[in-house]
Amino acid sequence: MSRGRWLGAAALVALAIAPWALARHQLSILTDLLIFGLFALSLDLLMGYTGMVSFGHAAYFGLGAYGSALVLIHFGQPIPVALLAGAVLAGVTAIPVGWFSTRAKDIYFAMLTLAFAQLLYTVAYKWRDLTGGSDGIAGVPKTTLFWGGPSLASGPAFYAVVAVAVVVSLFVCRAIVASPFGRALQAIRENERRFLALGRDPRPFKLAVFVIAAVFAGLAGALFAPFRGFASPEVMFWVLSGQGLMMVITGGIGTLVGPIVGAMVFILIQEILSSYTEHWMIFTGAIFVLMVIFLPGGLVGTARRLAARA
Amino acid sequence: MSLAIVVEQLLNALALAGLLFLVSAGLSLVFGILRVVNFAHGVFYMLGAYFGFSVVATTGWFWPSLLIVPPVVGLVGAMLEASTLRFIYRRPPIYQLLLTFGIALILEESVRVLYGPTAKGVDPPPLLQGAIEIAGTLYPRYRLFLVLLGLAVGATVWLLLTRTRTGLVIRAVAQNSEMADCLGADVARVRTLVFGAACALAGLGGVAAAPMTTAYLGMGISVIVDAFVVVVIGGLGSIPGSMAGSLIVGAAQTWGAFYLPETAMVIMYAVMGAILIFRPWGLFGEEE
Repeated sequence: MSRGRWLGAAALVALAIAPWALARHQLSILTDLLIFGLFALSLDLLMGYTGMVSFGHAAYFGLGAYGSALVLIHFGQPIPVALLAGAVLAGVTAIPVGWFSTRAKDIYFAMLTLAFAQLLYTVAYKWRDLTGGSDGIAGVPKTTLFWGGPSLASGPAFYAVVAVAVVVSLFVCRAIVASPFGRALQAIRENERRFLALGRDPRPFKLAVFVIAAVFAGLAGALFAPFRGFASPEVMFWVLSGQGLMMVITGGIGTLVGPIVGAMVFILIQEILSSYTEHWMIFTGAIFVLMVIFLPGGLVGTARRLAARA
Repeated sequence: MSLAIVVEQLLNALALAGLLFLVSAGLSLVFGILRVVNFAHGVFYMLGAYFGFSVVATTGWFWPSLLIVPPVVGLVGAMLEASTLRFIYRRPPIYQLLLTFGIALILEESVRVLYGPTAKGVDPPPLLQGAIEIAGTLYPRYRLFLVLLGLAVGATVWLLLTRTRTGLVIRAVAQNSEMADCLGADVARVRTLVFGAACALAGLGGVAAAPMTTAYLGMGISVIVDAFVVVVIGGLGSIPGSMAGSLIVGAAQTWGAFYLPETAMVIMYAVMGAILIFRPWGLFGEEE
């Protein structure tokens, strides 16, 4: 086994024993980290593997959160049903948005995704009857694993659901990028014009990966709502989209595992800074600026390069 | 519907377009010359509004703030360009966008530290207070001033770019920076200069906006999203495009807010979507 595989196996073992090894609040933080790790992972499919930088990815996280919150509050369905509802809502919304946005490239694409995300944010903010406006939806319950099945209300039980969802998503995404479809995405990233010259139309591929990324972001949001017990417009705001980009860059663009690591490091830095100062954003901003200038490969990318050299 | 309402709505649209132009022109200029989409551009607009508030609050005069604040904001911008962006022009565009995002976070939070979370109101100067009668309707003078300011700045920028030697060099760098470098243009200096000038324009927009909107946290992001829509419609890198885009967005927002208040935002995006279907690179942009 290669060093990478050993590390991966060790990480899986660590996740598996975490409920016994960690204190309650630590486990809760880990659950949070994993949820945002999944969000960053989904963004890496777009950024790292297709070269499409979305500045509005939080919208799909938010849609997932609202979808799952509504299903849980109004219908009291089991968690997997809520996860499915959130992921589907995000994916379906991404179809028209993606159809428009993928007409444009690069910076135009980034700006279009931001504009559509702000639009969705406004809808969530204004549609008080459904979304509760700026108050959002509170008291989202952690229901059961299946109809009549065990309750997921305890910290370790919900952690298990999140950990399984994130690990499965990681493996699915790895399979996607290794598939012929994934190869095509990387070909588009490397040289879209040549892809076109070879007689393939890049747009259906871009639309497909946009929707897939939205589904995974929606899944992350759908986990977030019952975990935190609420869904509010903040989870759709541009700040989260920007933080997603930061997580991907911090961890390492185009590595899938990197964004998960990046999300964890990023949130932990924030937690630590915010316990010292109310104005932690200045310092996160500064750290991020320095990372962009000096560590373009991110943590995982740089670590891999060093490992290859050693 | 009476003529008075039509005139009033038209003037409102023009006043909004004037402000949007001050912001989007700089955004477009920076993209045209530096190939960077400056996410922090809106924050410079906010800096302008807050600095304007400081000048008016300490001296009590509005007019000097229009002259003092833009160069200060421009200087802040130029210094940030020279200390961070300068080093990563050779990277893929996303890194520059992300870098400016980091800068936006730092500046936004710094303003919160300096000025606190509450919005700051600025009084317009006595000359621009009150209303004047146009086509049988009373119209606020300050908004007329915004229309004129937008036009004056638009004309100045256009003349500078097309009629002066500096403008010639700037356009040369925009067209082919390596060739301009070979021919002896100081490309790095041109970039810093343009970045600073664009930030100064945004700062001017902020100073001018404050009496109408107050200076508040978050005004930067709300204006940058509108400005993105403007440049997407008009075409990045084109000053006439920014002007056309500002007018279209100003009109869509004003009429949308008047007839269908709940859906004003939707109308703006619908217009943008419609234009992009036919011209994905914007009305005045060039296909890349």
